[in-house]
Amino acid sequence: MLRQIGAVTMINLRSIPQRWGMSLATVLSVALVVGVLLGFLAMANGFRATVDGTGSDDVAVVIGANSQTELNSGLGRDAVRLIEAGPGIAVDASGDPIISAELYVIANGRKRSSDTDANLPLRGVGENAPSLRNGFSLTEGRMFASGSNELVVGEGVLREFSGFEMGETIRLGSNEWRVVGIFSTGGSVFDSEIWADLGVIQNLYQRTGTVQSVRARLTSPEALAELQAYVENEPRLEADVSSERQFFASTAGGTSNIILFLGWPLAIIMAVGALAGAWNAMYASVDARTREIATLRAIGFAGFPAFVGTMTESLLLASIGGLIGAGITYLVFDGVSASTLGGGFTQIVFSFAVTPAAIVSGVVLALVVGAAGGFFPAIRAARVSILKAQG
Amino acid sequence: MNDATLIRKSLFRKKTRAILLVLSIMTAFLIFAVLGAFSRSLNSGVETAAADRLVTLNAINFTLTMPYAYWGRVAQVDGVQAVTHASWFGGYYQEPRNFIQAFSVDMESYLQVYSELEPVEGELATLFERRDCAAIGADLLSQYGWTQGQRIPLNSNIWRKEDGSQVWDLELCVVFDAQDQDVPTNYILLNYDYYNEALAFNRDQIGWLILTTGDPSINDRVSQEIDALFANSPAETETSTEAAFGQAFLEQLGNIGLILTLVIGAAFATILMIVGTTMVMAINERTKEVAVMKTLGFAPPRIFVHVLSESVLLSLVGGLIGLGLAAILLAGVGAMLAGQLPGLRMTWVIAGQAIALMIAFGLVTGLMPAINAMRINIVDGLGKE
Repeated sequence: MLRQIGAVTMINLRSIPQRWGMSLATVLSVALVVGVLLGFLAMANGFRATVDGTGSDDVAVVIGANSQTELNSGLGRDAVRLIEAGPGIAVDASGDPIISAELYVIANGRKRSSDTDANLPLRGVGENAPSLRNGFSLTEGRMFASGSNELVVGEGVLREFSGFEMGETIRLGSNEWRVVGIFSTGGSVFDSEIWADLGVIQNLYQRTGTVQSVRARLTSPEALAELQAYVENEPRLEADVSSERQFFASTAGGTSNIILFLGWPLAIIMAVGALAGAWNAMYASVDARTREIATLRAIGFAGFPAFVGTMTESLLLASIGGLIGAGITYLVFDGVSASTLGGGFTQIVFSFAVTPAAIVSGVVLALVVGAAGGFFPAIRAARVSILKAQG
Repeated sequence: MNDATLIRKSLFRKKTRAILLVLSIMTAFLIFAVLGAFSRSLNSGVETAAADRLVTLNAINFTLTMPYAYWGRVAQVDGVQAVTHASWFGGYYQEPRNFIQAFSVDMESYLQVYSELEPVEGELATLFERRDCAAIGADLLSQYGWTQGQRIPLNSNIWRKEDGSQVWDLELCVVFDAQDQDVPTNYILLNYDYYNEALAFNRDQIGWLILTTGDPSINDRVSQEIDALFANSPAETETSTEAAFGQAFLEQLGNIGLILTLVIGAAFATILMIVGTTMVMAINERTKEVAVMKTLGFAPPRIFVHVLSESVLLSLVGGLIGLGLAAILLAGVGAMLAGQLPGLRMTWVIAGQAIALMIAFGLVTGLMPAINAMRINIVDGLGKE
């Protein structure tokens, strides 16, 4: 039996070149379906990786009560002082709590891809800000000098927006700013931001004395509950505390969901189209070999090997298509930089990521198309009557 | 037996194959129509923008405000016919995820500048007089099952009142709509005065100004004059046409148009390949039959037309079913998303484009087989099994 299966399968595969038109169409259409699906998955994964990579468990983010995002939060000087005095916050070598009060405003940047303006987050920070971002490093230049019109720019901003190269001068409103450094936080959301001195930003945006968020280094991830309890029980403080991981998870789920909810249905609808193609190709293949199969039956081959032979051919064609689609998507899309509006109403720069899991999904989809497309033609091949050998 | 019957018979001779082909063509046009409607809905703000309408924004970014006094100063600029202002309210209903577009505006001048908006229910006089009166777009009204005259508490996720609350109590006094279905009416307008007097911070500031010039040819001059007016002030401005602003905002979402085009292109390439090769194969199988027809006196051009009509018919059957499915799908989804994506529906333009594509698609896939069939030599054809 096994030898029969092997023989029929080899006959099928060797005869593919005779039907190259239909076979090629099947391979290419499956490749396109897989390519579209992987393209969307790469976009969603890249976006999610950027957002997920941002959250840290041992950094607490404090924003005004019921604000949901930094953009519309407001905390006064007194609030900052009260948070500073809270429990569970780590201290530096000189005994000061490691916290950073920050103001987050929106500025315009010019996108390289479309040459149009897009919202960029401009963050006013103090000297502790870098130590509160895991993986922060200056890749070029230096930090801004306190009180000056100097900026440091995230790598993502540099990649997607023009005019932020080292030493460039940028006009925001009536002020001129100079880029003195480029920083990286290893692909997190902060790479899409521009940082400047808190006091200068407060003045420029007429927000003297108020900040939007306070970040604090916790002594351990468990200390979060302690700080939360403290803030809740402090009547002078109306604020919400969460870990940075929770904070980003709650603000940025929407965009990657939209990408996913568009990608999968599209891939499935297109897969139906490709399925019809595969099905046709396999019917054609069985039709073309009706006499051949009947002859095999006449000389003693059973129906089952004919079934397996046709299924194998279909699965092989589909998996070749799947691999071609995955390969092309990987070569074209992996690492491509893009940006879109994120939860904070500002641009988040991210890179497309074609992950192994996505490739597996793509190949599985291809195999499903191959299996479904080959099944009925294979049954038909198994049932070919011996009499057909004469026709 | 006339030609039409002949075409129909040969098309559906192999039922499974014909059904599968119809299925693939159907998916291509389903994707085309649905994505086309999405892209149209996204772009509706750009397409329905009036040519003589300008928008003045804070030059740093449009999320920043400008002083209320700018309104009066822009009104003085030569060439400005009517000017109004609006501020982003950041509204939601009960829960933050029930996001609602809301603007606080000066009602009288707003309805003057946006002349395409027409009140369809309620009294304008009440709207202008009572501060807690709001005007609601027809697209949005149905989404939450509200009715005219109902009171709703509208939350803001940006603005706090002096008393600490973020809820504005509104009465839906007027429902407005536009005759052109493509003009979005998926938002609420509330009275600026009502909003401004309760604000805890940022009082006497407005979000942006909208003005009409009456003549697109003076747009550039008017824009420059307005921006010059506020140069070197803490709130410098940038004035552009309504369409340019809408386009720039869309760009922020990333290149959606390109993605949609690529997906539609990929779907069509897939289907074209499948249908094309199947057609070639189907005609090859019929070589003998075509030879018989030629023997019977069918002229080559007539056979050419036969085969071509067959593929066009196939494309139309599959395409029209896909178009029908898309229309049903869009009717359902469109009602659900009226608040977010106004005007999401099948239009005659999309249907027309789709039908033109179906015919083109049928011609392209049928051309090769039709030429082959026309060229079949009677002697060779009859010899073939």
